[in-house]
Amino acid sequence: MRRVLFNLMAWTIVLVTAFPLLWMVLTSIKPQFELFRMPPTFWPEQITFEHYARLLWETPFLTYMRNSLVLSFSTTVLVVAVATLGAHSLVRFRYPGRERLAQLVLFTYLLPSVVLILPLYLLMVWLGIANSLLSLVIAYTSFALPYALWLLRSFMQGIPDDLESAALVDGATRMEAFVDVILPQALPGIISTCLFTFILSWNEYLYALVLVNTDEARPLTTGVMSMLVSAFNIEWSLLMAASVMMSVPLIIIFAFLQKYLTRGFGAGGVKG
Amino acid sequence: MSAAEVTFCKVRKAFGNAVAVRELDLAIGAGEFVSLLGPSGCGKTTSLRMLAGLEFPTSGTISIGGRVVNDVAPGKRDVAMVFQSYALYPHMTVGENIAYPLKKQGMARGEREAQVKRIAAMLKLEALLDRKPRQLSGGQQQRVALGRALVRSPKVFLLDEPLSNLDAKLRAHMRAELIELHRQLGRTFVYVTHDQLEAMTMSDRIAVMEGGELRQFAPPREVYDRPANLFVASFIGTPPMNIVHGEFNGRVFRHPAITVPFQVAGAPTRVALGVRPEDVLLGAGPFRATVRVVEPTGHETIVMLEAEGAALTARAPAESHLRPGEIVPFALRADRLHLFDATTELRLEARATEEISA
Repeated sequence: MRRVLFNLMAWTIVLVTAFPLLWMVLTSIKPQFELFRMPPTFWPEQITFEHYARLLWETPFLTYMRNSLVLSFSTTVLVVAVATLGAHSLVRFRYPGRERLAQLVLFTYLLPSVVLILPLYLLMVWLGIANSLLSLVIAYTSFALPYALWLLRSFMQGIPDDLESAALVDGATRMEAFVDVILPQALPGIISTCLFTFILSWNEYLYALVLVNTDEARPLTTGVMSMLVSAFNIEWSLLMAASVMMSVPLIIIFAFLQKYLTRGFGAGGVKG
Repeated sequence: MSAAEVTFCKVRKAFGNAVAVRELDLAIGAGEFVSLLGPSGCGKTTSLRMLAGLEFPTSGTISIGGRVVNDVAPGKRDVAMVFQSYALYPHMTVGENIAYPLKKQGMARGEREAQVKRIAAMLKLEALLDRKPRQLSGGQQQRVALGRALVRSPKVFLLDEPLSNLDAKLRAHMRAELIELHRQLGRTFVYVTHDQLEAMTMSDRIAVMEGGELRQFAPPREVYDRPANLFVASFIGTPPMNIVHGEFNGRVFRHPAITVPFQVAGAPTRVALGVRPEDVLLGAGPFRATVRVVEPTGHETIVMLEAEGAALTARAPAESHLRPGEIVPFALRADRLHLFDATTELRLEARATEEISA
């Protein structure tokens, strides 16, 4: 009896959470005239993919998509490269102020992004890279890196020192020991970090809105909004179609790597 | 390639304010089996790790085969190490684990495989080469760790408590295998342990360490028969040596329960008498003690005694019928007594002059 009740509750929560997503998909394949019908239809009477076609061929959607992919992949590669080496240093090397440094890294997390965004913008202008994908990569790295460092640090603390020592005695250089022994051991952590960074970059809105205002460098989030949402009109069909296509890459990645992600957050919870 | 001698010269290691090793001087001969023995925190593992190149000495020099290696990377020292945790690479198979040092030397794949086969045959690991370490038992993992160390034929083998994670039976077996291995290879072995049985049975010489200092460096027999100070005396031997504090007037050691005449030059007043449990002879003699605890172990009986405030342990035959509370007479074997300066804790070269009298 309790099991049934529990299941019922769980499914209710799932339905409530999933309903907007379902509605998004349904709306995206309804013809325009069916959208505002009263009472609304749940299942579309007629299925159409015209919104998708319009979005792909008649708008800069693909440019935004390309920008988002380039942006998220570059940020992920940069963050993971720096965070694995940095976390290894925080775990393995002894130097004055090591713990303080680790705490300071997290301290940057305490500042609201609204506070950071103007100085960051001015910095980008001063560097001459404002309005470019590069400026966004740097901005995203600045807030993804602290968390990535801590996540990987807790992972690497779980790797025995002896493994690296053994590799060194066996003739490996420090870098070889890191690549041959530490990286494979930290793989679940690295995958979690990749996912985390990718999702963060993919969904980021505020920085993209402030730092970039040309279509050439706009990612999906701000691009779709500025294209389809204006003060006078919201293109619901296109917006929903765009939302579906924005979600697809994340859903694919999640489906494949989900088990690593949950494991990663688990490790962070226990040790971090 | 052959064995190499190992020298620690005034080696000191401090971690911040904590001194792990102070002024270690140690000369290990080529092909020798030397154990670094001591309680935890005595600096033995730190010394081994400095020899491996995993820690840097704060001062002093370490040489291997006459070459100062302070600034030589671990992989270039021609040493191999077996870790207490085995430190097998979990993502590699047994074969890949053993081949790893060869791969880092740049040896070709074909030759590597031949070498791995040779080692696997030697350690009876042939059937396990494709397994991952976590699929092996503790004893098998231990052999893989040994194999990975052996495969390069290094000049010096470093072993950090390699047997401490094995069960007692397997440990006895591996002790014998290590002795055999050392005899076959003729390489220098430096073996860190806190287990005196391992040190006593396997070593040519034992370096007993305490508090970051070398207390004695001598063959096992000598460490047991002529401990250089109170620490070595009480650390080596199970049950440990009895230590009785008393006074010395130039001719006779005096304790309320025990009196022993000694011949010794320039001994201080405050001294400590050392008696091994097997040298306490129960049943007859000039002294009296009360039996406190009787522990039969099977092949002998350990008897805890108390004599005028002095706690004594004696080995008695298995069939002895002593009971707690009983008062027994006992004697001491005069030719096997040790005398130490109670202040400096150093051994005094003393001989008991006659059969013990009351």
